Amino acid sequence: MDEFEAFLDAGGIVEPNDDIPERYRHAVFRFIELHANSEYMGGLTERDWIPKAPGMHRKLTALAKSQDEIGHAHLLYMVAADLEVKTREEMMVDLLEGRTHFHNVFHYRVHSWADQIAVAYLVDGAALASQQAVFKNCSYGPYKRILRRVIAEEGFHMRNGEEMVLLMAHGTNTQHEMMQEAINRWWLPAVQLFGPDSRPDDELLRWHIKSERNEDLRDRYVQKFVPQLLNGGFTIPDPGLRKDPDDGKWKISEIDWEPLKKTMRNGGPDSARRIADARSAWENADWVRTALDAAAKAHT
Amino acid sequence: MTITKSTLNAVRSAVALVKDPEYPDLNIQQLGILEDVVIDASSIRVDLVPTILGCPALDTIEQDVLAAARALGYEVTVRFCHSPAWTPDRISDDAKKILAHEYTIAITPRTGNTECPLCGHTSLEKRSDVGPTACRSVHWCPNCRNPIEVVRSRKAQDQ
Repeated sequence: MDEFEAFLDAGGIVEPNDDIPERYRHAVFRFIELHANSEYMGGLTERDWIPKAPGMHRKLTALAKSQDEIGHAHLLYMVAADLEVKTREEMMVDLLEGRTHFHNVFHYRVHSWADQIAVAYLVDGAALASQQAVFKNCSYGPYKRILRRVIAEEGFHMRNGEEMVLLMAHGTNTQHEMMQEAINRWWLPAVQLFGPDSRPDDELLRWHIKSERNEDLRDRYVQKFVPQLLNGGFTIPDPGLRKDPDDGKWKISEIDWEPLKKTMRNGGPDSARRIADARSAWENADWVRTALDAAAKAHT
Repeated sequence: MTITKSTLNAVRSAVALVKDPEYPDLNIQQLGILEDVVIDASSIRVDLVPTILGCPALDTIEQDVLAAARALGYEVTVRFCHSPAWTPDRISDDAKKILAHEYTIAITPRTGNTECPLCGHTSLEKRSDVGPTACRSVHWCPNCRNPIEVVRSRKAQDQ
């Protein structure tokens, strides 16, 4: 293990055909499975908004984003399954039975189109920041390569989110209010996406699966998004928010992490409905999988 | 205002540098999306060829092309052409290398099998017709064990 860790510290990239220590293999698997589950659940949420998106252009964008997320999940599940901890089928069943987890931001209800914009802007912005940090120094080759493309595509989503927030910021009073309400609902979940402060002995950091501490990512996010929101004429739903006179940085209130823990155990406000929805999507598409399998067999 | 050949060339050089929204390292010229810059009823028109019909990035590309021309002081119009059809052959050789090395994205050659951009293996296993984007299919390289996305040719899109 010491030798392996020295290899990782020197910037070594682990490939699937290498001799991979068990603990690393399991850690990287769990990390990728969580990411895959989150992309999958995110894609389903996005899908809900395709028929409701205002106008052809927004529908196209919602459709493309949904395809992006499901496609990312597809690639991630391939790499996760290859680590031979669980089969892809097992990962799907675990997710749909509520035995495994997905990111906190997909455990809440998306109330309105403005909420969907807040998700595209605040949540995708947070997800992008955390993926960029993982990509920068990620030791698992196949995952790093997928992240390269995921980041490029998420960057496009982010731009879309920024564009829509600007539109709402400069829109009618009603639009501005709708957007403010959505920001009030989504600010904290977005900030919590980075998770509580990293433990000093975090294996994900030690093995260069992640390259930055959660608190550093969260802080950078706050410094970027607080001024943007204020410039848009919005307020931030944090009475304790202040600018530190010493270093000029924005400081947010202490976060109570207890509700997040419950949410992450699939006990969030909308967890049960989301999982049931994913299950029915899976069951309803059963005939497609059967048909595709049959077609593939007929070809060989 | 008379539009001279050098004006068209200047506009062409500027809009050629517009980045593709989903491949920030590549511009629309390298990807073969930029078809031509022409004079149309005494104004300048930029013709673009979408990689796939219904591509969600078209609106963004159009806005960026308008902005690039405006930065030179020209108002242009953008037309998306349905002919000629875009094919992966339109991607420049240097862009193909960037796609392979930076993005692990392969292009099906005119003849022969698609090569894994990582290890050169030539028997990729197809896993799905489309991936995260409608213009790429998803394959698996059984040799180096990586998912490989392949830019779809028009023929494959029609199937």
